Amino acid sequence: MLRNSLFLIVLAAFAVIAFTLVNAWHPAESLSPVAEHYATNGPTEVGAANLVTAVVVTYRGFDTLGEVTILFVTAAIIGFFLSLFHSESPEQTDRLMPASEILSTASKLLIPFMLVLGIYVFVNGHLTPGGGFQGGAIIASAFVLLLLADPLSKLNHRIIAMVESVSGVAFVLIGLLGIFLAGGFLDNRILDLGTFGALLSAGVIPLLYIFIGLKVGSELTNIIGHLQQTQKNR
Amino acid sequence: MVTPVYLVVSLLGIAFALGILGKPLRKVAGVITLATMAFASYISVSWFMGLWFGEQSAAMVFTAGFRPPFSINLLMGFEEAFFLSLVNLAGLFGTLFLYRTLMKSGVNAFVILLILIMGLNVIIMTRDLFNLFVFMEISSIATAGIIILNPHQKTISAGFKYMLATGIVAGILLLGIIFFYHFTGTLNLDDTIRVNIEAWKGITVALFFILIAVIVELKPFPANGWGLDVYESVPGGIGMLISTASASAMLYVVYKLLPIAPPVFFQILTTIGIGTFFFSNLLALKQTHPNRLLGYSSVGQIGLITGVIGLSHFLGNQFGLIAASLLISHYLAKAGLFWISGILNKTHIREWSVIRQNRLLLFLFSLFVFLLLGFPPFPAFYGKWELIMQLAGSGQFFWLGAILVASLLEGVYLFRWLGYAMKLEAPAGEPLRVGWNQYIPLGIFGLATFVTGYYATHLSSYGSLINLIPLAFALGFFLIDFLPVYIKNTLAIAGMGFYFYYLYPDLNGFDMVFSAIFLVGGILTLLAGYAYKGKRIGFYPTALMMFAGLIGLVEAKTTLEFFFAWEVMTAGSYFLIIRGKKSMEHALSYMLFSLGGAYLILAGFSLASIGQSTIVLDILATAPLYAPLIFILLAIGFMTKTASIGLHIWLPGAHAEAETDVSPMVSSILLKAGVFGLIILIIRMGEQHLGSLSILYILSWIGAITAVLGNLMAAFQEDAKRLLAYSSIGVLGYILFGLALFSHLGWLAAIAIAVTHFLFKALLFLAIGGVVWRLKTKEMYRMGGLITRMPFTFISVLIGIIVLAGIPPLSGFAGKWIFTNAVIEKEWFFQGALISFAGIIAFLYCFRLIHTIFLGQLKDEHRKVNEAPFWILAPQYIILIIVMVFSVLPNSLLHPIGEMLKPYFPDGALTWQGQYATSIFGYWNGTWVMYVVVAIFLLVFLWLWFMNRKAYRVKQFNIVFAAERPFRPETTHFAYNFFAPYKKAIGFLAEPGVTRFWGHVSEGSHAIAELIRRIYSGNGQVYLFQIMAFIVVVYLISFGGF
Amino acid sequence: MHWFSLEYIAMNLGFLLILIGLWGIITRKNILRIIISFSLFDTGTHIVIVAIGYIRNRTAPILDTLALQKDTASKIVDPLPQALVLTAIVIGLGVTALLLVYAMKLFETKKTLDIHRFNDLKW
Repeated sequence: MLRNSLFLIVLAAFAVIAFTLVNAWHPAESLSPVAEHYATNGPTEVGAANLVTAVVVTYRGFDTLGEVTILFVTAAIIGFFLSLFHSESPEQTDRLMPASEILSTASKLLIPFMLVLGIYVFVNGHLTPGGGFQGGAIIASAFVLLLLADPLSKLNHRIIAMVESVSGVAFVLIGLLGIFLAGGFLDNRILDLGTFGALLSAGVIPLLYIFIGLKVGSELTNIIGHLQQTQKNR
Repeated sequence: MVTPVYLVVSLLGIAFALGILGKPLRKVAGVITLATMAFASYISVSWFMGLWFGEQSAAMVFTAGFRPPFSINLLMGFEEAFFLSLVNLAGLFGTLFLYRTLMKSGVNAFVILLILIMGLNVIIMTRDLFNLFVFMEISSIATAGIIILNPHQKTISAGFKYMLATGIVAGILLLGIIFFYHFTGTLNLDDTIRVNIEAWKGITVALFFILIAVIVELKPFPANGWGLDVYESVPGGIGMLISTASASAMLYVVYKLLPIAPPVFFQILTTIGIGTFFFSNLLALKQTHPNRLLGYSSVGQIGLITGVIGLSHFLGNQFGLIAASLLISHYLAKAGLFWISGILNKTHIREWSVIRQNRLLLFLFSLFVFLLLGFPPFPAFYGKWELIMQLAGSGQFFWLGAILVASLLEGVYLFRWLGYAMKLEAPAGEPLRVGWNQYIPLGIFGLATFVTGYYATHLSSYGSLINLIPLAFALGFFLIDFLPVYIKNTLAIAGMGFYFYYLYPDLNGFDMVFSAIFLVGGILTLLAGYAYKGKRIGFYPTALMMFAGLIGLVEAKTTLEFFFAWEVMTAGSYFLIIRGKKSMEHALSYMLFSLGGAYLILAGFSLASIGQSTIVLDILATAPLYAPLIFILLAIGFMTKTASIGLHIWLPGAHAEAETDVSPMVSSILLKAGVFGLIILIIRMGEQHLGSLSILYILSWIGAITAVLGNLMAAFQEDAKRLLAYSSIGVLGYILFGLALFSHLGWLAAIAIAVTHFLFKALLFLAIGGVVWRLKTKEMYRMGGLITRMPFTFISVLIGIIVLAGIPPLSGFAGKWIFTNAVIEKEWFFQGALISFAGIIAFLYCFRLIHTIFLGQLKDEHRKVNEAPFWILAPQYIILIIVMVFSVLPNSLLHPIGEMLKPYFPDGALTWQGQYATSIFGYWNGTWVMYVVVAIFLLVFLWLWFMNRKAYRVKQFNIVFAAERPFRPETTHFAYNFFAPYKKAIGFLAEPGVTRFWGHVSEGSHAIAELIRRIYSGNGQVYLFQIMAFIVVVYLISFGGF
Repeated sequence: MHWFSLEYIAMNLGFLLILIGLWGIITRKNILRIIISFSLFDTGTHIVIVAIGYIRNRTAPILDTLALQKDTASKIVDPLPQALVLTAIVIGLGVTALLLVYAMKLFETKKTLDIHRFNDLKW
């Protein structure tokens, strides 16, 4: 208790510090110079109608590479970590309740649509709200649904890992092509920028978002798959 | 040059690609990983070389083909290349070291490692704040991954605490970054920041969030429990990566952010950094788990470098050298120590004695310890030197003192640990197995210590003056340590002889006297080494290191050279002393006093260099400020070596427990280093005053008291070698007193005694050593009657004690006579009386030495004892000849010394005619004294011989004449507690009060450490609380309120 | 008055979540609750980021109408914080997933989720 009350004091002090920050903050009334550059030159430089995508995939594409890496390394750690002590007690397998009729039927109905939606979201990432991460997450949730409907089903980790690796390597290679064919690492102007607002536009962004979508989808699926497998084993 | 972006592309691309490989291709995964890391190392090292030699200019990489601040850019400059090289080489060799473990863990382990290193690369290069955040997160997640490479309950809970801590810190960093963007409109470090005055408060708070988050990542005290837990739980190979690669990268982030930091931040950084250095080292005193101990030390070293960054304004153009050399030392030493810990895999530092199974590991262990503590010739030596000099020059005395005290604390636990490893009984267990993949990284890092040391020597401003040849000669003996003793001994003697011959033409004055003691004396004591058989592994390199240091003192023209030599000598003598069977504690206390003394000397030199344009030793004479303080610091520093009272407690054990030929080396030769230092000091600084009190006057009292107490304690010893050791304390007291007299006669006496002390102490230690060699005991009451068995040794001891006691006719008397004159001249009668009193006490123990050991009844078990080995007797008889020459012709010693003193003390109070010396108080003729005494001796001897014929011979077991009933085994020997009546009368003076005092100091600091380290309760939430409280407190301090 | 406009609500809510999250992380005993609190803390920072990028009376930076493509800079909210928050969310996801797996493993070792039971390493 003493510690909690001490911490209350510390937290209050921290709140005061945070308040000085909020107090100094005034809501922006115009764009920052950097954002202004994105707004005025983004459409011509990058060619993506979705300016957030332009920032995410091209201007700050290097961050995105890191972001993908985080998911990748998390999946690798979880895979490694969970594979370490599995095979503890397989006798509990039968305790898992089978999924309800509604769930299993609905999942069969929904999964294809979810997959299509996921693909739609990342393919159109440069035009509409969405992108590789969102699309990937939708795809992964399709697999979650699959696992919920049939807890004993087994995901093929081999294929997932393959998709994950290939799309990761492709991301890096496309980035590398930017050095040779355009202005630098991860430059999207390897391909023609195309017509602004068209599906095949914004240079290499759609392609990159496909790989990011696949990679994120497979990574998240991988994590969930690993978690599900340890559950099965106990 | 390969574009730096390939660092990221190769590491990350391969990490992604490794997923494709299945289980059957595991082997390839390992090789590919190593190759990739080698490639990354190649890129960074080639950039580093290119930028260093100026063949290359810094390169900026723009990602996405746009200019910053619109896109993210990476910078490859000189500093970046340096840090990248450190990180990538650590990755490469760290992976190699862990190779087998990783192979067992599978492909994912390699992936995690590659990504960790990749993340650190980007952290170093990126110029974008948010990008920094992203890759810091990558690194901490990857770190959380490698923590559990060896999963058990401890690593998992440590990893969990680590993730929570870094998670909170990352959140705070993110807040700071986003508000920074809000207030400045940019995320790029190179962008010109348009500071809106209205938003000033906001900007500083945002910056504070960013900076404090980065600082917490460096694990500052006390917000670092989570980091320490990680260090404790993970195996050495992984601890190495965290301690070297991750810590270096984070350190660079702090450095990189400095340009945008507000000025007050520098003080914060200094306080946090040096505070961490101090407290980590203090708390480490109580630590027994090797990895956690290394963790404390890591955190402390990083703290020191952080502090140096904070102090960078005061360090001028030396900042780079200081920071880089400290970092390199930390990097190499911590990598090596963690690796060794990984091989030994022990949970208590006492169990490290198993390391003795593998001499190479032991060698590397001590190498890394000395490297870490900044001993020469390693880089941190120059770093610490320059740091202290610059801090003194800019008046930062508080930090100067804190750094030195903390370094001393670091020495305490590191040397204790080293002592355990060298001396404790090894626990039973499986034999050590070291794979080739473990030898390679260790070997390369071991070699790198010397290479970097060499470069640091040449980069530091005065380093190129230092004569490295004697040290190199000494270290060369490590390479030929497999040869038998007689070859190495011959080589060593030849080397020292040649060096003396080489120096001889340039020597004069004090240099001549002391180089003769150091080198010729060294050769004499080395002669005894022929008595040893086998290889005597480790003896020659370290003994020669000591002599190299000693002669370096004489050769030194600058304070740096002097300090360098002093440290080399200390290191060498430490290893010599610890060779003794029961020397573990004594060597430790020797080392700690030496280290403390060395730091005082360093502080003294640094104060003396304030406002002076050079660092030659003569600056002592012209020091414009703090002269009395400089004098006191240096004098105390030197008195740790001369073992003056209060600083003497290390000596008896260290000298008594040492090997037969080591005792004379450390006692008769090594102690003179302190005397030499005092001479250099007093000659240059003369008489200094504290208010109206002369410091020399204080020294004279210290000298006199040391003489009395040293001799008194010697008289009450049962152990023969301990007796001699205490007697050294006493004699060094005379010398100190003589130097404090600061007159022609005083110095004449002091130096004459210094020379004769060398002679008789070497003689006695060799002779007694010879007895111990044969009898296997040092207790005098177990000896007796050895005159018949060891007649040659008896003669040595007889002559030795006559010289020691200063009885006519031998040369010791000359010293005494001059002393008396000097005291009368100076009119310091109280101290003079004490000195005379000490001389009387000396008779007691001298008598004891000859009487108990050689006279009386021969013990039953010693009836067949042989005379000491020839090679132990040989140097004794050479010394005997020298003693006789000096005694018959005292002029041959005293006259040159007198000439030597003339430039400093022109009033030659002594006039010489042949062997006939006159002072204003009397006259003395050594030759005539000799004749007279010999005549008296002969008369008495003949008379006794004549009378003895009538004596009644008693058989040994005839108890008719006995009158006492023995009640303890020792007491059956009449020589046990020989001076009991005196002990009753004045024994209280010899009470170990000083020992008790230092004991309390030690216990006190350990108790404080024990108390403070309770804050690391092991509870993850407590650690988080500490982080939050730390942030709030630092905020309050730096902003002076909310 | 302005305290009730969207950006102020978001900003204050964000910081409120951060504080609640911190409180939970440090005072809850159950590891799962700690992780949930961590998520709250994380979400709080994300809301703050979004609030920073918001500009009143402007629209999302997706130029899907011709009207938006002209004089864009005065019509859209800041796209940069939106891009950043996306990255931050994914990072938060990774950290949370890893924390949960750690929690699983901690539970396996001692069959408890009480964080006070994991104090073996100390001093």
